[in-house]
Amino acid sequence: MDMKTDQGRLRLSADVGGTFTDVAAFDEKTGRLKLGKTLTTPQRLVDGIENGVGKAEAAFSAAQLFLHGTTVAINTILERTGAPCALLTTQGFRDIYEIGRVNRPEAYNLFFKKHVPLIGRDMRFDIRERMDASGRVLIPLDEAQVLEIATEAVKKGVKAIAILFLHSYRNPVHEQRAKEIVEKAFPDLFVTASHELSQEYREYERTSTTAANAYVGPRVRRYLAEMDTHLGDTGFTGTFLVVQSTGGLFDIEEAQNSCIRMLESGPAAGVIGSKTLCASIGLKNAIAFDMGGTTAKAGVIYEGEVLMTGGALVGGYSSGLPLQIPMIDIQEVGTGGGSIAHIEAGALRVGPESAGAQPGPACYGQGGAEPTVTDCNLVLGRLASDRFLGGEMKLDLAAARAAIEAKVAKPLGLEAVEAADGVLRVAATKMSHMVRWVTTERGLDAADFALIAYGGAGPLHATMIARELRIAKVIIPFAPGHFSAYGMLFADLRRDLVNTWFKPFADASFEEMEALYSAMEKRGAEDLRRSRDMMVEVVNQRGADMRYVGQEHAVSVDIPMELFKMQDRDGIKKHFDAVHETRYGYFNADEKAEIVSLRSATIGLMRKPEREAMARGGVSPDAAFRGKRPVYFSGVGICETSTYDRAMLQAGNRIDGPALIEEHASTTVVWPQDKVEVDAFGNLHIDIGRA
Amino acid sequence: MDAIAEKDQDMQKTRTIDPVVTEIVRNGLIAVTEEMKINLMRTAYNMIIYEALDFTVGLFDAEGNTVSIGLGLPMFIRGMSETVKAKIAHFKGDIEPGDILLTNDAYITGSHLNHMTFTVPVFHDGELVGFSCCMAHWPDVGGTLSGSTTDIYSEGLQMPIVKIYRKGQINDELVSIIKTNVRLADRAMGDFRAQIAAVKTGEKRFLDMMRKYGRDDVLGAIDAIMDQSERLARERVLAMPDGIYEAESFMDDDGVSVGARVPIRVKVEIKGDRMKVDLSEVSKQVNGFYNSGITAGLSCCQVAFKCLTSPLDMPINEGQFRALDIVLPAGRVVSAVKPAAMRMWMTYPMTVVDTIFKAVGPAMPDQVAAGHHADLVVGRVNGRKAADNAFYIYLGGLIGGGWGAKHNSDGMSATIAMNDGDTHNGPSEQVEAKYPLLVERYTLRPDSGGAGRFRGGLGTEQVVQAINQINFSSQMDRVKCKPWGLFDGHSGEGNSVAISRGGAEKETHFPNGKALNQVLKPGDAYILRSGGGGGYGSPLERDLDMLARDVRCGYVTREQAESKFGAVFAPDGTIDASATAANRSDMRAKNLPVDEPIAPMPIFPERMAFEPQPVRNEMPEKLTDEERMVFAMNCRCCS
Repeated sequence: MDMKTDQGRLRLSADVGGTFTDVAAFDEKTGRLKLGKTLTTPQRLVDGIENGVGKAEAAFSAAQLFLHGTTVAINTILERTGAPCALLTTQGFRDIYEIGRVNRPEAYNLFFKKHVPLIGRDMRFDIRERMDASGRVLIPLDEAQVLEIATEAVKKGVKAIAILFLHSYRNPVHEQRAKEIVEKAFPDLFVTASHELSQEYREYERTSTTAANAYVGPRVRRYLAEMDTHLGDTGFTGTFLVVQSTGGLFDIEEAQNSCIRMLESGPAAGVIGSKTLCASIGLKNAIAFDMGGTTAKAGVIYEGEVLMTGGALVGGYSSGLPLQIPMIDIQEVGTGGGSIAHIEAGALRVGPESAGAQPGPACYGQGGAEPTVTDCNLVLGRLASDRFLGGEMKLDLAAARAAIEAKVAKPLGLEAVEAADGVLRVAATKMSHMVRWVTTERGLDAADFALIAYGGAGPLHATMIARELRIAKVIIPFAPGHFSAYGMLFADLRRDLVNTWFKPFADASFEEMEALYSAMEKRGAEDLRRSRDMMVEVVNQRGADMRYVGQEHAVSVDIPMELFKMQDRDGIKKHFDAVHETRYGYFNADEKAEIVSLRSATIGLMRKPEREAMARGGVSPDAAFRGKRPVYFSGVGICETSTYDRAMLQAGNRIDGPALIEEHASTTVVWPQDKVEVDAFGNLHIDIGRA
Repeated sequence: MDAIAEKDQDMQKTRTIDPVVTEIVRNGLIAVTEEMKINLMRTAYNMIIYEALDFTVGLFDAEGNTVSIGLGLPMFIRGMSETVKAKIAHFKGDIEPGDILLTNDAYITGSHLNHMTFTVPVFHDGELVGFSCCMAHWPDVGGTLSGSTTDIYSEGLQMPIVKIYRKGQINDELVSIIKTNVRLADRAMGDFRAQIAAVKTGEKRFLDMMRKYGRDDVLGAIDAIMDQSERLARERVLAMPDGIYEAESFMDDDGVSVGARVPIRVKVEIKGDRMKVDLSEVSKQVNGFYNSGITAGLSCCQVAFKCLTSPLDMPINEGQFRALDIVLPAGRVVSAVKPAAMRMWMTYPMTVVDTIFKAVGPAMPDQVAAGHHADLVVGRVNGRKAADNAFYIYLGGLIGGGWGAKHNSDGMSATIAMNDGDTHNGPSEQVEAKYPLLVERYTLRPDSGGAGRFRGGLGTEQVVQAINQINFSSQMDRVKCKPWGLFDGHSGEGNSVAISRGGAEKETHFPNGKALNQVLKPGDAYILRSGGGGGYGSPLERDLDMLARDVRCGYVTREQAESKFGAVFAPDGTIDASATAANRSDMRAKNLPVDEPIAPMPIFPERMAFEPQPVRNEMPEKLTDEERMVFAMNCRCCS
């Protein structure tokens, strides 16, 4: 085949996770999608990607676009394998990174451990300079001291320098100047200043964000450079973009500076895939639910838009490091296929300990003796011992049963099947609390949403979770085991900016706001410019963090352009009141509002791939029928259950529960009284039966 | 049905209870109180609720027993259940759907009047099945702004147990009384609404759970959860060696009788699977403002018990404490009766908890920590903003301090004291944007952690300049009676407060930690310093790599490394291991280093709070605001 003619019609994406690398290859001309799943190669991640591309029967040389999601940044933090760094900060605030917020979430634990900074105290330095809260210079920057300290730090071996000065969100000139001085003296150093990443107040969170960027910077920069070189070697001449935690894309030049923005690229891509799926089937509200081996995650699509948040804690609430950057609001709970069930003082507990990949669940036969969620699915008949990963991996039913009997059933005086069912019910309720959380914290009701479930274990548990939350509809997308890679194909370029600007809303001048928004939009457009060939259109979204005067916590409100253009102050206030009521259950029209921060998102819309529709079949799924086996359903007992090969299903097929729909990387459990229909793109629509 | 038959039926229920439903309900209860907490936090108007998380939410059974309380103030672990019980007793069955019960009675909550406590009864099919309750700290409830009180009447509005809502109708007269008696009434009403929303969330979710799993199954599961918690705690107590353990510690003074130490004596008896804590020998209630009610005294024992037996077992419920007996007569400083002054209720109980650990330490050295700074280290500020002359109250401080070292690790630095749990400090950038204050410095205090094989955590120092004139008060304790070490570990530095007047060369100190009603002129600064934690084990046994890191990072100065840890430095600045070993055995033979757990109280060598204030040093005339801020900051930074 002549590669030249193919050039420019292939869109490739790769999601590199801890265990697996997923690749999606989409042919824009034919609308055909090919997928490849392969083991991640930690020594040289590009090898795994190359293997995956091969499995998807594609080649880099034929691609015009390569989209990449990677865990390299987050793993560098979690494994503490980043570069030696120094922090330059305002005099008197050297310790703010270590002091943090002083809270003790484990209030009764005398052995509680707070966060451990990524930069030790001996590498944190006070710099003479000071701004006040309005951005006025109180003490000018001591430029000589900046150079002197940077020189000393470099001598001690640092590879990156983070700069955080107080109130830089109001006036960044000191940070800019300090960065300039350091970069000029040490051009090879990775230098990052807080205002480039966050223009919001809260010095500890901004310090932590900037320090994390410095910490992962050298490694991520090297990784992307190597990847870029490698792509060149394969004959790739297209555009290389990376997925951010916002689900938006950025080019590698940006990605090599604002590395921290790619932290949660994989999970974010799954939510973007869900949003695209919603748009294609006319769904406005859905919860994107991703369940893997160790965790379950959920994000929300509300009124067609993905719900975002202003920050997160990396490494958990108690001891995690905060990041203050816009990202998709994704909640997580430590419940996955590998979660271990155990008895504690006579009580049944599931997780958060996980059997991981090694030794893995008892049924993997790798020496694991603890009963896991996966073992329970096997014992209940929901997984088949000879069909796991397309039969590539044999599961040991006897070992699973033995583990459940010894560790759960006997101590509780239950049968193994009852115990396995109990474990799954507990796991489902734990996950349902997490799923409910993403909606209730916004004042929304999960029952009004559809549940889109993916990840290897998502389709196994989705119908149970839906029952818990009174959700009526579950959608299992095409290729749920590769959904993040698939979702990347639909991402847009995106730049989010936030600017803290305390102002009573009644006094806020529209001219001033316009100037601030325009400045952010200009900067956003500049960041996207390098990739302008890829864009169809640039769209700007405006928002503000607002609160009632006197309140501490602000809500993010989108500012509709038409209201803003008409300078409709009352209209915007009413809009804020409405958002406040949804989120908190009350509003007060007479109470004054104030602005905390202005938000801007500049989105470079890209052409969306259009999938080919699959062959339309009749209502009957008989062509996909693979036989029956006994499966246990709580409240019903053991049912002879039909199993189907998902690859053989055709659009229009209908299946009545109970049923199992099996595919390479997952199994969908359909309960008695549930009804399934296959749509034109191979997605399964499940109507949850009312008991 | 007679009582015995009823009991039998209850037993029957407990026996047949489904372990799966029990675990589902347990997770559900945690989720409910978590949701109540988030709802309150996000809607509250005051930093002390939103940032400091000075509140507690919970679910209670129909008798007022704790079913689940969310993370909040650990020292309020008992207060809410007792308040719900008091409300049940007060209304004697006259509680109806739609009622919301309120009180801030200090002797019921055991704390100060700021703790407005709202309770909603939960009715299922017409039957009272439980209560949803929320306490939150209001920044102002009236009373004197002066830092000193000697009875409850000067501390503000006392709201007895009332129905603030009756069958869904708000009682406007009562609301009007509240609004008339508190400063910043609008903001108080914002918190009022947030608390109502929180308790209603608890009610709704509790009922959802009953509808879903059935009343009997949910109530049965709650019993089973309490039984599980009880079993867990008993197992842990059973593993502790039987015996009677005693310890004593002291508070500096009660804020009124300056320099008169207040003794805290505790006795712990462990026998089989039960623990008894006797607080009879704790000081009688005091004249100053450091008293707390009996529920606070009970909380001390429960907090210590939970730390020792089931620190991570959730939800917090009544079953956890069934193996604990408490002896606490009325009239002690942690079981004070009317009209004792209660404004600083939270300070002494923290030391009571630490003293319990001190007592049982020899019996369970692997489970306790050395003393911590045991004070919230708060600075109270009020003043007017230059722009609009608006009155404001700012609760400064909460800067975190050092915690005690343990058998296997150093103490935590800069972490909030025992009274508070998930309490956050306020970002300096936020403080400066909101108030006419400038945070000049917020740092760790080198050498403040007690020396030891494992070192105590470091305290912090915060220097805050007044841009406009402010009134400032800070009531600290454990200034002289420092956080103690264990097993030859040394004590950490105590807490302290000082004022730096303009360009004055020396700080004004407050030897007993009580800086009351201080007027700070523009350019003056207040300085809060939190204590460090106590050390664990002899400092002469500290690992040299850890000590080298301490010195490299500046947690320990070279001087202290030499004097307390016995280090000998080589000319290149590294620690000379063999010289250090020799020096250490030398020191050991001489009984060095020497610890001083209680600093002597000076007989007025320093300027006391009630003496005339020092003359302000000349601030150059005709400075702009900006120049003055920098001038004052430079004076302090370089002096």
